[in-house]
Amino acid sequence: MNSLLRVEDLKTCFYTDAGMVKAVDGISYDLQEGETMGLVGESGCGKSVSALSILRLIPYPPGKITGGKVVFEGKDLLNISEEEIRDVRGNRIAMIFQEPMTSLNPVLTIGLQIGEALEIHRGLNKKETRDEVLRLLRMVGIPDPERRIDDYPHQFSGGMRQRVMIAMALSCSPKLLIADEPTTAVDVTIQAQLLETIKDLTSRLGTAVILITHNLGVVARHVNRMAVMYAGRIIESGPATEVYEHPRHPYTVGLLASVPRLDKPRVGRLVPIDGQPPDLIRLPPGCSFFPRCSHRMQQCSMERPELRIVGAGHLAACLKDLGS
Amino acid sequence: MLNDILIEAKKIAMYFPLTKGIIRQRKIAEIKAVDGVDLAIRRGETLGLVGESGCGKTTLGRCFLQLLRPTSGEVFFEKVDLCRLGDNQLRPVRQGMQIIFQDPFDSLDPRMTAEEIVAEPLRVHTKMRGRELKDKVADLLGIVGLNPSMAERYPHEFSGGQRQRLGIARALSIRPKFIVCDEPISALDVSIQAQIINLLEDLQGEFNLTYLFIAHDLSVVRHISHRVAVMYLGKIVEIANRDDLYQFAQHPYTKALLSAVPIPDPAVEASRERIILGGEPPSPMALPSGCNFNPRCSVGIDLCQQEVPPLHQVGRDHWVACHRA
Repeated sequence: MNSLLRVEDLKTCFYTDAGMVKAVDGISYDLQEGETMGLVGESGCGKSVSALSILRLIPYPPGKITGGKVVFEGKDLLNISEEEIRDVRGNRIAMIFQEPMTSLNPVLTIGLQIGEALEIHRGLNKKETRDEVLRLLRMVGIPDPERRIDDYPHQFSGGMRQRVMIAMALSCSPKLLIADEPTTAVDVTIQAQLLETIKDLTSRLGTAVILITHNLGVVARHVNRMAVMYAGRIIESGPATEVYEHPRHPYTVGLLASVPRLDKPRVGRLVPIDGQPPDLIRLPPGCSFFPRCSHRMQQCSMERPELRIVGAGHLAACLKDLGS
Repeated sequence: MLNDILIEAKKIAMYFPLTKGIIRQRKIAEIKAVDGVDLAIRRGETLGLVGESGCGKTTLGRCFLQLLRPTSGEVFFEKVDLCRLGDNQLRPVRQGMQIIFQDPFDSLDPRMTAEEIVAEPLRVHTKMRGRELKDKVADLLGIVGLNPSMAERYPHEFSGGQRQRLGIARALSIRPKFIVCDEPISALDVSIQAQIINLLEDLQGEFNLTYLFIAHDLSVVRHISHRVAVMYLGKIVEIANRDDLYQFAQHPYTKALLSAVPIPDPAVEASRERIILGGEPPSPMALPSGCNFNPRCSVGIDLCQQEVPPLHQVGRDHWVACHRA
């Protein structure tokens, strides 16, 4: 397998009245062709911002990508012209967002919206576009596409809208699909349908996927490799089976321990992670997780831990070795 | 505690009219959000109510509290039929019932301080004022794990989890017996959810509270509930003790819901059988004939398209509305 995407020391900041927010604070990872990676973390940890930064979709001001590289198919996306990046967006790299109602244009039919990318990136004419849109709608499992193609977004249910988004995202057979919480707004039975659809279609097209979610269950089922983010940094990454079975960062350990599980006997009392999510403007000088960590040592308040190898392909940023 | 019923709904229905026209509004259809539900909640228990969005679980919760006046049916709270009471007569009864909302951002007035928020129910329902009220609020903040020194802060100065604690303190202030928890943790971060669940459990033990716990996360519902009811398109399709429901689910919808819950363990997920339901829930404006679930059901028979299956008993405390169960 070849490396498709290499993110190196990516940094994105937001300048707010209250101070500078380091939303993404130096993250690095590699993605192979056709691979599915999960990016996990809680709200505000920087997972969405890091994905938007890949496509340079950070509004400026207040946001700014302040450093790093995003090498995709050999080109640094942070260093190419506006025209060149426009050719990447929606064509080579596509994105699905959490809320399909706000990411679709309410006054255009879905046929026109899906067709737009086809006309721009693939240069199809009207007739070809319509046929192709019908094929895509059928592909993502929208019943009766001939009738639905001229409908507006509000005529679709949440799950169907997300299918429209998937059709749009895959219309140009992208090399990379970034799915940002694609199933958070839908019900659990629809979630299962959508994730199967994404999995099935991307593996057929050979598309690599970055699946961004806060749901540890979704990651467990659908990804090979995962990265856990906290306060703008990746604090643990590795093969999904490895991270779930032998989590090495106290935050990952805490997260996995705090959710009740349907496949295990019911526990008497949940073990929460203490404290509150970090305030990104006033991060502690050492490890960001220090105030909430149950394994903290004095050293952790001064020294910021870097990612280090703790197993095969398994990295963790913790000064204490939880494995031993 | 087991057979002492605190609150009970009988044949509760809540229909919302759908109108057309601006000047002369004509009713063209009805949305049957809750359609003939019988549900009794026992003193001291947590009844979990699960179902997908639009199934009517929130509406049902509000009918219990008379925040929505049901179209028909009765709600008995400690043997009094609330549906017959007028607004003035309801006010004293409301002291016994409170609600905790899903979104701690929308449900707190941004212009009120924490202290004012928690004190409001006390001002309305009791004669407590001044020093006494202040002390009571400080006490309540302490109970829900907030530092009483935060009393002067406004909601935006709190994190999501802290705001939910504030909402809980407000609900607790007048010592209710019954609390409807309407998706109290689904807007919170994963690492905070467990804190709030533990808090709700502690409070239940301390103040002998009865909860109707509305949620769509089945793992959480199993953790917190004594009994669980599953709702689909305005009707209860299955209700049982927690362990029976999770181990011996009878209704095909319950089975599909359980199998759709992703489990945070790749090894388990790899070997797991999954029932992926086809289609989507039909619109509550145009319900199918017979069983509401029949268009998506894999075990349906002809009867399912003709007759609505009644809830019938299949085990101790286990009821199912399915012709095949």
